[in-house]
Amino acid sequence: MKPGRTLSAAPPPGLSNEDGSRRGSVGTPFLPSDWRMLGALTALVLALPLIIRTDYTILLLNIIGLNSLVVLGLNLMIRATGQVSLGHAAFYGLGAYVSAVVGVTFQWPILPSLLLALAVVTLMGFLLSLPTLRLEGHYLVMATLGFNIIVTIVFNQMEDITGGPSGFPGIPKLSLGPWRIASDRDFYFFLWPLVILLLALSLNLMNSRTGRALEAIHERELTTRTLGIPTKRYKVAVFTLSTLYAGIGGFCYAHYVTFISPKTFDIFYSVQLVTMAVVGGMGNLWGGLAGAALLTCLPELLQKFEDFYVLLYGLMLMGVLVFFPQGLLPFLTSLPGRWKKSPRDPWEVPSSSRPAEVGAPGERNSPEGPDEDPGSAAPVHQGPPAMSVRDLSVHFGGLQALYRVSLEVHPGRIVGLIGPNGAGKTTLLNVVSGLLKPDSGEVFLKERSLRGLGPHEIAAAGLGRTFQSVQVYHRMNVLDNVLLGLHLRGRSGFWAGCWRTPGAGREERRLKEEALGLLESFGLGSREHWPVGRLSLLEQKLLELARARASDPSVLLLDEPAGGLNPRESQCLVERISELRSQGLAMVLVEHDMNVVMGLADRVVVLQHGTRIAEGTPREVQQDPRVIAAYLGNRKPGVR
Amino acid sequence: MWWNLFPQFFVSGITSGSLYALIALGYCLIQNATGLVNFAQGEFVMLGAMTAIALRQAVPSLPLPVVFALSMVLVALVGILLERGPLRRSRNRDILTLVMITVGASISLRGATMLLWGKNAHAFPPLGGSTPMLFWKAAVVPQTLWILFLSVVVLVLLYGFYHHTLLGKAMRGAADNPVGATLIGISVGRLVALAFGMSGALGALAGILITPLTTMSYDTGLMLGLKGFAGAILGGYGSVPGAVAGGLLLGILESFGAGFISSAYKDALAFLILLGILFLRPAGLFGSKTVRRL
Repeated sequence: MKPGRTLSAAPPPGLSNEDGSRRGSVGTPFLPSDWRMLGALTALVLALPLIIRTDYTILLLNIIGLNSLVVLGLNLMIRATGQVSLGHAAFYGLGAYVSAVVGVTFQWPILPSLLLALAVVTLMGFLLSLPTLRLEGHYLVMATLGFNIIVTIVFNQMEDITGGPSGFPGIPKLSLGPWRIASDRDFYFFLWPLVILLLALSLNLMNSRTGRALEAIHERELTTRTLGIPTKRYKVAVFTLSTLYAGIGGFCYAHYVTFISPKTFDIFYSVQLVTMAVVGGMGNLWGGLAGAALLTCLPELLQKFEDFYVLLYGLMLMGVLVFFPQGLLPFLTSLPGRWKKSPRDPWEVPSSSRPAEVGAPGERNSPEGPDEDPGSAAPVHQGPPAMSVRDLSVHFGGLQALYRVSLEVHPGRIVGLIGPNGAGKTTLLNVVSGLLKPDSGEVFLKERSLRGLGPHEIAAAGLGRTFQSVQVYHRMNVLDNVLLGLHLRGRSGFWAGCWRTPGAGREERRLKEEALGLLESFGLGSREHWPVGRLSLLEQKLLELARARASDPSVLLLDEPAGGLNPRESQCLVERISELRSQGLAMVLVEHDMNVVMGLADRVVVLQHGTRIAEGTPREVQQDPRVIAAYLGNRKPGVR
Repeated sequence: MWWNLFPQFFVSGITSGSLYALIALGYCLIQNATGLVNFAQGEFVMLGAMTAIALRQAVPSLPLPVVFALSMVLVALVGILLERGPLRRSRNRDILTLVMITVGASISLRGATMLLWGKNAHAFPPLGGSTPMLFWKAAVVPQTLWILFLSVVVLVLLYGFYHHTLLGKAMRGAADNPVGATLIGISVGRLVALAFGMSGALGALAGILITPLTTMSYDTGLMLGLKGFAGAILGGYGSVPGAVAGGLLLGILESFGAGFISSAYKDALAFLILLGILFLRPAGLFGSKTVRRL
């Protein structure tokens, strides 16, 4: 139960549509797509020390930089998983303490202590994410909070190692080769380039193939898995990455202030970090920087009212969330636009590109499409079936949803799957695509058994599907939705995404071209930059079909594609589906609209109460008495 | 001999365990009504104790039962205000925003308490004096008996409420299927507010009962709230019997852990158990696995 999921058609600013469409559009390798903003930030960072005379202000800027690092990591995680960690202070503290202890007590040089600190932090982050990210909801918040408490207790109790509550003094300053980073100004010129570098890398990451997948996970995790994206692995990776940022921050902090104590790393610091992220807009990478700056400076301005800090933070966190859920700063920056409405509003649609009249896109490609006659025009493949389902059984509690159901689909063929409501049709599709585990029975794609595979592995094996209620990504535009379907056709990962390697750029261009081609062939050619919410239901269904086609599956499962469409619209969809058949795809079609089923299906399987009661050509099935009984009841006139 | 300490550890485990159970019940009520984790639950506990202490100081002649009832009502009002105000205003937002709002509320309550009552620890005299009685090698103060007795009373009342009153049945129905409940004319919004009120009152009671044993300060609530949450997870999040069993079990494990392993890491133990349960059996000991649907 997610209140308001369907209502949030307008994407929050951090995930806005313009943001998405820019993804991968800049061709120059290694150069971040936000290079203008980053350039401005770099200029500001270089200019500030020239203006500022007092070391105190430099120190404040350094603290802002340190907070920004951790908030950056937090925001990456929020954006990708939709979950918040209230334990990042612990990772910050671990980075600080590990490096300090091995540096002072065991006299390790700086570089090995850094590596050990980061190794410990990421290992802890990884271990913590394994159990908690598997779960829905807010367990992560609690688990990270608990982790933070444990870590604080350990810092306090292991006095002979950490110095206990009185702290750990005498940590050496950093040095880079001959450059000893001793003064506040030195540290400023060490820290801020690091912040900008990590910010650039994170922005790049979110603008890459991986970033697209991460945002998809945030919006619809299960659907994303059926697109072949290993969501659990991505979530664990991004959580671990975000703890790494905190670890780096902690390391820098320890070697900057040279004295650390457990108090710095308690839960209140975690709350402060989260408040910074919230004020900047949850998941908004640039906003996090501004949130960190604002909330680091605020207490300094209110120095006389130290006792009010806690209350202030609490009210700030709550107030911003209630009144400006997209963040205080994104709200403020959007103010000028509210006063004068720009004529080129991206949400405004020019009248020439109004949604196409229904059915029109289909007619353009009709010459090669097998129009009406399903049996004769489709290429006949006599080889092995593309997919076979053998003796599948599933039960939910006492309800036998499927009982020993078998079916086969050959390439270039459509099997219609019909039956009254609750017959187990969608359950069958869910088992095949890996969302449900069967009690017994097995599914094969060609000769390969899908037993024990997760949805993403099944998708990678060549299975695509659409959903009964359309599952498109409202936070992204049309193009990105199709690009998600193309995820399996690319290979670049976190590393290539961060650095915008030439290979990743080439791949992104190739995927984009393919996506545009697909959109064109599904009649959505002029819609690539539209937010999905503006599409009609038919267009959303076409988009979902294009996305399923994008991964180049051998088998496609269609769950009530014509549901909710009027006859003309469903005709348009039928044409697309027959085109897919002529391309050699095997399809299973669940549908209630008998005209659609009888027009498309080469064979029909009828389910009732989870068992297969009939199978044959559409004509045979229509005349089967058991089928008639299942749909209409079997009380013939005069028979009791 | 270490086994001689067994009864003593067991008694103290049961005592703190029943308090954790009360706190866990508060989480459970709100989880069932809204699907939210209320991070301010620990603050309800702290606030209950603080109001009771303040009431006693302000009007020493007030009889104890009245002090108890007034504090519970006051904290219940805070809970209702939290629901009626910020949460209701944001009800169309995603669940993460709502949960973070309760985090904000919890920090605000802490901050406000600190301003009102300062940073010092406050005490509350134990019920029935402090002369311990001996039960089979265990020294038991009357406060412990009161805690056990009142926890049982609360449980019985809750059971009666849920199973034998129309309002309670409506509440169970609304938790099970809010849309269906709305359709048959139940005002789900009011029931949600009621759930917040009840969990505030439960938290307050736990706070008042625990203060004579440990004292209370503005930042104690967080830890108690987390322990209650750990208990609720241990038993299976959202299940009422699970909350009680989980809370008791956590108290006992903690007491024996502190006695036999290390009292310095007593608080860490609860969270290790929490993480362990999340790792091994996320549905909790008594919970059932939920099926997610598209």
